[in-house]
Amino acid sequence: MREIYLSGFNTFVLPFMFGMLFVLGWCLIGAVRIIFQLTPDDRKKFFLSFLNPKIMLKNIRDWFCDCLFHVKLWKRNKLLGYMHSSIAFGWFMIIVLGHIEVFLYTPQRMHQMWYPIFFRYFVAVTDSTMKGSFFFFLMDFFLLVVLSGIVLAIIKRARSRIFGMRRTTRASITDLIGLYSLWAIFPLRLLAEGFTADISGGSFLTKSLNLVLHSFLSDQMNMLPTWWAYSIALCIFMCILPFSRYMHIPAEILLIPMRNAGIPVRHARKGIARLQVYSCPGCGVCIDACPMGVVKANSKDATVYLNRQIKRNNERRIEEISDKCLLCGKCTAVCPVGVEGDRIRIAQRSIRPYNLAPDYSNIDENSAILAVNNFVSTNNNIVSTANNERVLYFAGCMTALTPGIRKSMESVLRKAGVNYRMMDKDGGICCGRPMLMAGRKDPAKEMIRKNTNIIKSSGATTLLLSCPICLKVFKEEYELDGIEIIHHTEFMDRLIAEGRLHVESSEVRYAYHDPCELGRGCGVYDQPRRVVAAAGQLVEGAKSGKESICCGGSLGSLSLGFEQRKLMTENAINNLTADNPDAIVTACPLCKTTFGRYADRPVVDIVEVIDSKTGN
Amino acid sequence: MKEIIVIIGGGIAGLEAASNLLKLGYSPIIIEKSDHLGGHVANWHKLFPDLTPAKDLVDELIASSKDANIFLNTEVSFINRLKDSYNIMLSNGISIITKYILMTTGFRLFEASKKEEYGYGIYNQVITNSDLEHWFNTGQDKRIDESPMNAIGFVHCVGSRDEKARNSQCSKVCCITAIKQAIELKEKFPDAQIYCFYMDLRLFGKKFEDFYTKAQRDHGIHFIRGRVSEVGENIEGKVIVKAEDTLAGKPIKVTLDLLVLMSGMVCNPDSSKTASMMALPIDSDGFLKSSDNVFRITASPKKGIFYAGACTGPKTVPETLAEARSAVLDIHSHITSQEK
Repeated sequence: MREIYLSGFNTFVLPFMFGMLFVLGWCLIGAVRIIFQLTPDDRKKFFLSFLNPKIMLKNIRDWFCDCLFHVKLWKRNKLLGYMHSSIAFGWFMIIVLGHIEVFLYTPQRMHQMWYPIFFRYFVAVTDSTMKGSFFFFLMDFFLLVVLSGIVLAIIKRARSRIFGMRRTTRASITDLIGLYSLWAIFPLRLLAEGFTADISGGSFLTKSLNLVLHSFLSDQMNMLPTWWAYSIALCIFMCILPFSRYMHIPAEILLIPMRNAGIPVRHARKGIARLQVYSCPGCGVCIDACPMGVVKANSKDATVYLNRQIKRNNERRIEEISDKCLLCGKCTAVCPVGVEGDRIRIAQRSIRPYNLAPDYSNIDENSAILAVNNFVSTNNNIVSTANNERVLYFAGCMTALTPGIRKSMESVLRKAGVNYRMMDKDGGICCGRPMLMAGRKDPAKEMIRKNTNIIKSSGATTLLLSCPICLKVFKEEYELDGIEIIHHTEFMDRLIAEGRLHVESSEVRYAYHDPCELGRGCGVYDQPRRVVAAAGQLVEGAKSGKESICCGGSLGSLSLGFEQRKLMTENAINNLTADNPDAIVTACPLCKTTFGRYADRPVVDIVEVIDSKTGN
Repeated sequence: MKEIIVIIGGGIAGLEAASNLLKLGYSPIIIEKSDHLGGHVANWHKLFPDLTPAKDLVDELIASSKDANIFLNTEVSFINRLKDSYNIMLSNGISIITKYILMTTGFRLFEASKKEEYGYGIYNQVITNSDLEHWFNTGQDKRIDESPMNAIGFVHCVGSRDEKARNSQCSKVCCITAIKQAIELKEKFPDAQIYCFYMDLRLFGKKFEDFYTKAQRDHGIHFIRGRVSEVGENIEGKVIVKAEDTLAGKPIKVTLDLLVLMSGMVCNPDSSKTASMMALPIDSDGFLKSSDNVFRITASPKKGIFYAGACTGPKTVPETLAEARSAVLDIHSHITSQEK
C-alpha cells in the first residue's frame, strides 16, 4: 500500500471531522453529567462495579449481545434482528477493519482520525500489498451486510408487519433526518470506493462497481464529489444524532454498565432515568406490547413517546402519559435496551406537587401487634411442623374484597397443618404499594414502617401473601431481616412438593393468567403452573409468561376510564381463552375481580382451585 | 277467526295482557320457560306499600287468564319472519304463525355472588332479597335459624347503579323493598337492631315516603348513608360489615346475624336471545329498546312486536300491570285499523 497524497488530507474530511468532534464532545459531557447526577453512593457503586470481574464480564457480553448483535430482537423476530444487527455489527466491523488497515499499511497516519474512514481515497494498491485483498474482501463483505440491512430498513418503513410489528413509532423530524442520512451513508461510501477501486484496490463489490462506472464515467475527477457527499452524510448524521433517536447508540454503551451495577431510578429526570430516556432507540416494540393499545389512540402513550416527550420537556404530555399507564411492566419486559417504562413513569409522578398531605400517624398498629405477638408462645407447642415454621398470613385489602380467596387460603393452610396466624384478620394496614405507584413515597414509608413493626414483633419465619401487589412491595421496600416473603402460589407449590398437601387431579382445563406483579414484577412463573398442573390440565393463553397481558384492572393507572379498561379486559380474556379452557385461573385478587366482570366462564384464584381439589 | 297473539313470558305482565286480550275477544298464547306462571312475583311474599299478599295477585291473574293457551316449560327455539307475520317454533315442537308478538320476558335478578366483597355464597349469613322472600313464604332456609337475632343489615344497590357490576341503571324497587323487608323482619324479631346501608333512598311511588317514615318512627330501623366496603366473618360465625357513614363522616363496623343483599334488576339474557331472533334493538343498559322512551314504551321498532313490563327496564308491579294493559290496547287498535 502506497500513499498518494503527502499531506494525507483533503478538505472533504472537514465535515466528517466537525461531526465527529461534535458528537464526541456532546457524549462526553453528557456522560460526565449523568455520572455526577447519581447519588454519591450510587456513583461509588458504579465505579466499583468495574473492578468486579463478574460484572465486567457481563458488561462485555451485553455490549456485544445488545449493542452489536441485538440478540433480544433476534428472539422477537429474525428479520427484525437481522436488520438491526447487520447495520450495527456491519458498521462496527467496517470501522474496526478500517483501523486495522491503517495500522498495518500506514501506521504513521494512526493519529489522523479521518484516515481509517476515507482510507481508500488516500492510498494506492501496490503489488506487494496484494495479500491485503483479504481485508478488501472483508470490507466489501461487511459493506454488503450493512447495505442489506438498509434495504430491509427501507422495506420496514412500508411493511412493518413482515418484521412482526403491527404498529411502529411515528418518527419525529430529527429522527427522519437521522434516518435518511444514515440510509445515505453506505450507498455513498460504496459509490466513493467504487470510483477509487482501480487505484486503491477493492473486492467483489467495489471492483465490479468500478468497472461499471468506468464504462460511462471515465473521468477520475468524478470521485471527489462522491467522497464529499459521503463525508457530508456522515456529518449530518453525527450532528443530528444527539437530537434524534440515534442517541441510543452512545447512550446504551453507558447504560449497560450502569444497569449491571444495579443503579436504580431515583430521580425523574436525572441520572439513570435520563440515560434510559436517551437509550431509547425508538424501535416501537413497546407500542404493540402495551395493553392500552386496544384503543388505538392510546398507542401514543407508549413508553417510546414518553421518552420523546421527556427529551422535549413537554410537561403536559409527560403528566398525561405517566398517569395513564397501568404499570403492568410489559414494555420494560420487551424493551431491547432495558428502558424501565414503569419505573420512569412512577418517578415522573413523584415529582408532582400534591396539595393534600395525608397523615397516617393516628393509625394504631399496637392492637395488631398485640394480636400477633403471642404467636410464638401459644401456637408453637400445639402444632409442631417441619423446620419450626411460623407463617404470618397477610391477605391484604384486595383479598378482603374477595373473601373467597382468603377463606380458601385458610382452609388450605389448615389442611396442610401449617402453623399460621392472620396478620389482618380484623383489618390491616395497607402495604403501601398504591401510594408508591402514585409516586408518593413518604406516605408509603409511614405504612411500611408500621407494618414492619407488626411483622417483626410476631416472631414469624415466613410472611405469606395472597396479593402479588403486596408481594412486590414487601420484597422490594421492606427490610424484614431474614423473614421469608412468599406468595401463596409458591407456598402451595412447596406444600405439594413436600407431600403436605394432596391434590386430586382432574380433567378440568385451566388457563393460567400471569398477574403482572407476580410474573414480570416478581419473576414467579413456574410455581403457579406446577400447582395448576397438579389440579387439572394447564392451558396457556396465546401470550403468556413474560408477555402476559394485563387484566386492565391495575391500580397503576390514575386516569384510565372504565370503558377503556373494559376493552383491555376483554382483549386479555380473548387472549386467555384462545385455547378454549373450562376456567380461567389467576393468582391475584384484582385480576380475579376484573376478569370475573366480563368473562364468559368461571374465573377463580389458584388457591380456590387447590382448596376444592384437596380433602381433609 | 280470532286473532292469535303470542305472549313470550308468563309473568304478571304476560298474565295481565292475556286476560285483557281474552276480554277483547282475541286468542292469546302464553309461552313460559319455567314450570309455573307469575314469574318473580310468584316467589314474593308481600307487596309494598300495603303489604298485599303476592299470592293473591298472582292467583287472580292466573284465574282471569285461564282461557288462554298456556305452554309451560317451553322456550322459543327460533322465529322466522314471514311476509306480514311470524312463524314461531317452540321447544316442544309446536309451531305458531302469528301477526302479533308481545314480549313480556322480564328481568333477571343480579347474581349477588358477583359482588364477592359482600360474601354471598361465601358466608352463611349472607342472603339476597329473593332468598328472604322465599323464607317468608316457606319458612325454609338453612342459613336462617329461628333463634332470635340481635342485628340484621340490608345492603341497598347490589349490582344496581354500579358500573363495576356492569349495571349503571337504578333498579327502582329495591329501596322500598328493603324498607318493606326490614319492617317484616322487625316484626318477626322485635329485639333485633336493623341497619339499612344506602347510597340514596329513591322513594318515588305512592305512599313510599310514608312507609319510610313509618320504618324509622314506628320500627326504629336505622338508615345509614354510605356503601358497604367489605364483609367478613368473626370466630362465632357472625358477619362483620365495614362501611362508611358518610353523614357522620366516619368508618363504621357492625357485627350482624344476618345480612340481606338487595340484588337489583338486570336484563334477562333469555330476553336478549329471543330479541336477537327478531333483530330487535338492545338499549345501552342491556334491556330491550322501545321505539320511544316517552311516547311509545310498549312499541318496538318492528311491526307487530310489542313490549310490556320489565323487559324494557326495571319497573314496579303497578307499572308493569299498567304497561300490559297499555300494550293490549296498542295491539287492539293495530288490529282494528288493519281490518278497516
